[in-house]
Amino acid sequence: MSLQNNAAVVVRDLHRHYGKRIVIEGLNLRIEPGEFVAMLGESGCGKTTLLRALAGLDPVDGGSIDGPAQPAVVFQEHRLLPWAPLWQNVALGMDTAEGKAKAIAALQEVGLGGRENDWPRNLSGGQAQRVALARALVREPSLLLLDEPFAALDALTRIKMHELIKDLVALHRPGVLLVTHDVDEAIALADRILVMRGGRIASTYEVAAETESGPQSLRHKLLGQLGVTLHERAA
Amino acid sequence: MTLETSLSSGPTLRSSRSSGLIDTRSHRALRDSELLALSWLAPLLLVVAWELAAHLGWIRPQVLPAPSTVVATAWKLLANGTLFEHLGYSMLRAAIGFAIGGSIGFALGILVGFSRLAEALLDRSIQMIRAIPFLALLPLVIVWFGVDEAGKIFLVSLAVMFPIYINTVLGIRQIDLKLLELAKVTGLSLRGRITKIILPGALPSILTGVRYALAVAWLALVIAETIATTKGIGFLAMDAREFLQTNVIVLTIVIYAAIGVLADSAARALERRLLAWHPNYAKGERR
Repeated sequence: MSLQNNAAVVVRDLHRHYGKRIVIEGLNLRIEPGEFVAMLGESGCGKTTLLRALAGLDPVDGGSIDGPAQPAVVFQEHRLLPWAPLWQNVALGMDTAEGKAKAIAALQEVGLGGRENDWPRNLSGGQAQRVALARALVREPSLLLLDEPFAALDALTRIKMHELIKDLVALHRPGVLLVTHDVDEAIALADRILVMRGGRIASTYEVAAETESGPQSLRHKLLGQLGVTLHERAA
Repeated sequence: MTLETSLSSGPTLRSSRSSGLIDTRSHRALRDSELLALSWLAPLLLVVAWELAAHLGWIRPQVLPAPSTVVATAWKLLANGTLFEHLGYSMLRAAIGFAIGGSIGFALGILVGFSRLAEALLDRSIQMIRAIPFLALLPLVIVWFGVDEAGKIFLVSLAVMFPIYINTVLGIRQIDLKLLELAKVTGLSLRGRITKIILPGALPSILTGVRYALAVAWLALVIAETIATTKGIGFLAMDAREFLQTNVIVLTIVIYAAIGVLADSAARALERRLLAWHPNYAKGERR
């Protein structure tokens, strides 16, 4: 482990291209333990490619990723095994004896205590995504990667999930990289927001400093960065 | 006129009663049991009509014996033990053939399902053999194995192999790649990937293969037992043909049908048990 000052992950000069199309070009990123970083960007800007490279799912063409061998990932879809009861889904890949007790505790944490023997098909979308979250956190990861995990949920469920994930991250303190389209979600959850464009990080915002005068100005700036201009209404 | 009114008032009464939510549910439950009863009505009527026709002399017993005659024949053969003996031989052949053919089909299916190389090497040959109508193989089988048990078991094995093979390959190929990605990020071992993701994911398809295989095993057995033999349900039928004992012939047909139905129910029970997680196989589901 050559992590500088024990960062959760350090990415240096990362390159990735599909054929001639360059997706990531010289990207640098550092996430501290317990730090919540949100990555915004238009579709096709390379943010999901970055996350998949960090997860070890896609190879890279240049640069280095200095992080845990196996970060935990929550995908946009819950990806629960329909044939395994909830606890087995949470404990997937763990030693069985120890895994079951931990899985039951993790299900408790996400508000699904006592459902460990239930089938995934009996869950709502929000509940299934909470199980996916339990599956990620039960491994006590030093780096947690979230690939638009709330995008498919309804608005109210999404707000509940925001609260839950904030609490769990505060408790377990992994470094978090959240990839999202949702500016409000990024402001609600992140310590630092990055906007990715053209395969690089185009701008960085420290949320605490930016929102001293209320979240609206940051919201406008971020939307502006993403190519959305809001017309000021005459008051 | 009174008949007409009573007929037309029936449905009207029903629909007015079922307007409430709770009423609709109990109404539907009733209809389900009625439908079940109705599904037995046609076969029952057929048997009754057949019996009557035989008794009235419309069907000659040499052409088709009365159901009661068939039952009496069954009773006679049961009482002197011959039926059990022949049945035992047939079942044993089916079981051994199923075990051998099923194992080979499953092993080949796993191999081809996992490996593109194995597919390139094996699949074409397997499909070519599958294309042979296996009745055409009968003379060769007799030359190879003689008229012993081996030939009969070979035929059953061959028939069973293909549905199991095809459905195992299909089941493995249909595994969601996203779940395999998940296996990667949860650090699942190769063994874990196979036992926790690939095999359970392929199981619905494999069990469909088992159901098909049970049906063709039985079919193969009927043909196999026409090869010179002195034991088995097939022998019983062949022997009866020689002496024009239509009652025994019909009995063997009924036995084949009954065992086929039983085997299929057993396979379905297995599906319900092993696929409890699957919405389509959940308890109470009729297919």
